[in-house]
Order: sequence, then C-alpha cells, then structure tokens
Amino acid sequence: MSGELLLDARVVSKHFGGLKAVSEVSLQVRRGEIVSIIGPNGAGKTTFFNLLTGQLAPTHGEVVFLGQTINLLPPHRRAQMGMGRTFQIAKPLIALNALENVMIGSFLHDAPMGRARDKAMAVLERVGMAHLAGRRAGDLTLSERRRLEVARALALQPQIVLLDEVMAGLNQAEVGREIELLKSLHAEGLTFLIIEHNLKVVRAFSDRVVVLDRGMRIAEGTADKILTDPAVIEAYLGQGHTGSTGALPQTVSEETRA
Amino acid sequence: MPRGEPLPAEDSARAAPPAHQVIESGQKALVRYLVAFGLALLPLALLSNDPSWLNILAFTYLMGGVAAAWNIIGGFGGQFSLAHGVFFGIGAYATAIFVIRFAWSPWLTMVPIAVFSAGVAMLISWPTFRLRGPFFAIATLAFNEVAFVLANHAESLTGGPRGLMIPFKASFENMIFRERWHYALLMFGFVMLVLGVCVLLRRTRLGYYLLAVREDEDAARAAGINVLKVKLQGMALSAALTSIGGTLFMMYLRFVDPPTLFTLPEVGVKFALLALIGGIGTIYGPLLGAALVVPFENWLRGEFADSLPGMSLAILGLLMVLAALFMKRGMVGAFEDLVKRLRRGKGGQP
Repeated sequence: MSGELLLDARVVSKHFGGLKAVSEVSLQVRRGEIVSIIGPNGAGKTTFFNLLTGQLAPTHGEVVFLGQTINLLPPHRRAQMGMGRTFQIAKPLIALNALENVMIGSFLHDAPMGRARDKAMAVLERVGMAHLAGRRAGDLTLSERRRLEVARALALQPQIVLLDEVMAGLNQAEVGREIELLKSLHAEGLTFLIIEHNLKVVRAFSDRVVVLDRGMRIAEGTADKILTDPAVIEAYLGQGHTGSTGALPQTVSEETRA
Repeated sequence: MPRGEPLPAEDSARAAPPAHQVIESGQKALVRYLVAFGLALLPLALLSNDPSWLNILAFTYLMGGVAAAWNIIGGFGGQFSLAHGVFFGIGAYATAIFVIRFAWSPWLTMVPIAVFSAGVAMLISWPTFRLRGPFFAIATLAFNEVAFVLANHAESLTGGPRGLMIPFKASFENMIFRERWHYALLMFGFVMLVLGVCVLLRRTRLGYYLLAVREDEDAARAAGINVLKVKLQGMALSAALTSIGGTLFMMYLRFVDPPTLFTLPEVGVKFALLALIGGIGTIYGPLLGAALVVPFENWLRGEFADSLPGMSLAILGLLMVLAALFMKRGMVGAFEDLVKRLRRGKGGQP
C-alpha cells in the first residue's frame, strides 16, 4: 500500500509514574490500509489506542494525523478531523433508539435534523441494521451494540476508523458477519486501525500487523509472517497461554473467545 | 424478557421502518403541543371566576414553566443543577430594581436580564461542569447558599433582609394587573413558551447533543461533540428561561426577600423535584409534575396549618420518596408503561 499517510505515531511513549505503559512505539497508517495491533493482555494496546484517540496525552513523541500534530487535541477535535472510533466496552446511548444513536454522529456534518436523520438511516442500512432503527439501544444484543458503535463512527464520515476489540464477546457467526462488514467497508476505501485479541480476525483481513508486548513494539509485518515469528510466540506463550502450545494462531483465538 | 421476534440469520433482509416513524415527525410534535396547550388552558377557562384557584393555577403554570426550563439542562443534559434558584433570583431582583429605581417596564428588561442570567450561569458552571453526577449537584447547591448570603448582605441593591416591594400601579406596561386571571394567563403564556422551546430544542442538533452528553460523555466526545460547550449552551438556555420565570414571579408577588427566593425546598430543589415527579427528560413531564404537586401542596398547607405545622412538608417528602421508588421515569414514564401494557393486549385491563 502506498496511499497518503493518514496517521503517524512517532516514537510515542506514555509513562504512568515509573510504569512505562507504552515506550517508543512508532506506527504509520496509510489511506486504504487495515492495520492491526495485537499483543498479550497488559501489552499497552489500549493505552496506545488512547494516545491516538486523545483520551491520553503522550509523555514523549508525537502523534500526527493528516499532517497535523495532534498530541494535545482533545478527543472531540480528533473526531471532527475525521477520526472515528469504537470503545472496548461498547458505549451505546441506551435511552436513545438506534437511529438516534447514529444521528449523534451524522449531526457532525449535517446540522438540520431531517438531513442528519436521513444520513443516519442510510448508515444503518449500510451496516444491515435498518430494521432495528426504532429499537432502544439498551435493548440491543451485544453484537448489535458493537455494530451500532461502528455505525455511529461511520456517520462521522471519517478518514480512519479505530476499532478497539470490536469482536470481543461475539460468537463465531457474529464474528464472521462482522469481518464481512469490515471487509466491504474497506473495499469502499475506508481505512482501519484495529486492536484485536482474536487472531483469526487479524489474519482474515489485515494488511499489516503490529505486535506490542510490555509497551514495546516487538514485531511488524504481514499477518502470516507475524504469527510465525518466534518473538511473538514467545510473548504470547510466555504470558501463560500454555494450553495452546504448538500451532499458535488458531488456538489462541479459540481460547480468547471461550 | 421476551423479544417479540426471533433473531434472523440475515438481518438486512427485513423491512426497515420509515425514518419519520422512528423519529417523531414535526407534525406529530406540533399536534402534541397543541393538545397540551388546550389541556393546560382548560382549567383556566373553567376556574376564571375563583380567585383562590386562579392563584393556585398561576403558581402551577409558573412552577411548571420553571421546572421545564430546569429540565433542559437537568433532564435533557443530565446535569442535576441545584443552582437554578440563583437565576430565578436574579430575574426577580433585577426586575424589581429596574422597576423601583428607573420605572422601566418589566417587558423591556425581562430579556436583557435573562441574557445576563445566562452569562452568570455560564460563568459559575464553567468550573463546576468538571464535576460529574452528585458532585456537580452539591457544588451547584453551594451557589444557592452564596446567593442567599449576598442577597442579605447587599442591602443597597436588594434591600437586604427587608426585601424589595414594588408599589401597586396596575397597567399592562407595568405588568401589574387588577384581575387575577390576567396573571394566570401570563403564567400560562410563560409555560407554553418554555414548552415550545423544549419541543423545538428536541428537534435540533443541540437537543440531541444534550442527550448524548447525558447518556455517555466519552461516546459523545468520540462523535465529535464538545461536551463542555454543549453543557454550557444548555445551561445558558435553561438559566435564561428560569430568569424570565423569576421576573414573572416578582411581578406577581410584588414583594421578595432572600428567604422567598433562596429557600431550597421552595425554589432551587423544587424545580428539580417537579421535573422528577412528572418525568425528567420528557417534554411535558415538568408541567405534569407541577399540576400534581402545586395544588396538592396548597391544599396540604391549608389543611395542616393549624393542627400540625410542617406536616405538609412531611407528606410531600413521602410523596417524593414514593415517586422515586416506584416511578423512576416519573408520571410520564409510568403512563407510557401503562399504555405499552394495554397495547400488548392483556385483556385490556391493567
């Protein structure tokens, strides 16, 4: 891939007192790519994610988005610039219905209610949730809530979408459908950066995989290359995935779903 | 909890409801508003010859209007402000000062005072909006107490503990009327104005953003919402309308002193409680709450004035506890649940 550089983390670190949650991690995402970040629990994935989305400010280094340094920009400014995101624990606006949830996103570009509503409906159709438009978000299933968050992010008409473990807690069929959706969105030119525990997902649709362990980037490359990398296997097995000795990729993913 | 329909294998196959059914159409919202208008006007038409009922009605409309104004930031925005007595008090005091010193018509000063109240509201909420939930409520409570002390202290402006009195000079431009039903009509106009603003607000971006902020601030930020700005805008609108309520209150009583304006159970907290009982975060709930509580409270006060002073407050307190326990979404919520249950058709009887 050689699209325009969208998101560029330059030697970014985040320290909490003496704890180096993220140390000197660099990452580039170009337009049209799907990049995955994987790593064992506690590897600093979510902290790194929060540095990109603005929940946290880096201790050192620089986060550049669309050519602009955004280290100190609050999350809503980044969203306005075109950074859509989902949350590891889905945050639907439970008292609102699905359509209203997505409207909260589409209002960014369309202030009049009628236009925001119609655009939101189109996004719900796109993600296959139009028939649920009138349902309270609090009454949706987990997978529907996750998908609703993706829809809300899409309604921002983002340049890039950052997904924080959107597959966690979903069953096999739901994961399949989710991958289907992301692939088709990607085919339309959308760029993704995803944090994923589920290696099956990573393998199914990543251009590039970055592996974090103990706050450091220990490997980067294509999914197939990464999943056979001794350092990566070491990182995973060393974290107590003892039940899955041998073929790493599939078994780890099975285990995390269980 | 039964979910009506089974989970399909391919969900996009099913028909989507048209968007205008999912979001209330403008026409439907207008019809509702007109129905509310008619229902609220009815008692005024029926009781226009009974001075004591007119007094109760005037207060019901006024309190309903102020509760609906509070509901903008407290209900839609989810920021449980107990500082609204301050904006109410500014409206009342400023109006009185302009009338007494300069003989300026309240009709003219009302809106500038409301704008000033909105400014004060933004100034004091700027730091307090960092706090969430009960901590925000407690912090705003403090402003009410500060206002009480200031009003007592600033004698040259507020008359201190002696209060301010507007002499009775009946005329339309003075907003002083001989006929009590004129006041009731004025208050009716106020509550319908506030409700109209709420109906419109719920159909704008700001209205939706307030809901988003109430539901989840992080999710709101991720949708590009400047949470602080939205809260401040909601607070400013809410405070401005509350201040207008203070102006009308002043012109109706023609006398205020600090305890009248800053006694929490009577003013600052009352706004919130009316909204809570009627249905917080709904458009018509606050008026419904006022329609229930204000006349009831009046009756209680009369009933127990001699035998058991303070009993009326105790009964009112009990009512509020019951409402909090059994009607979490207020009367509007309870009503909606009832309608839903009836529609499900369990023999038609609840």
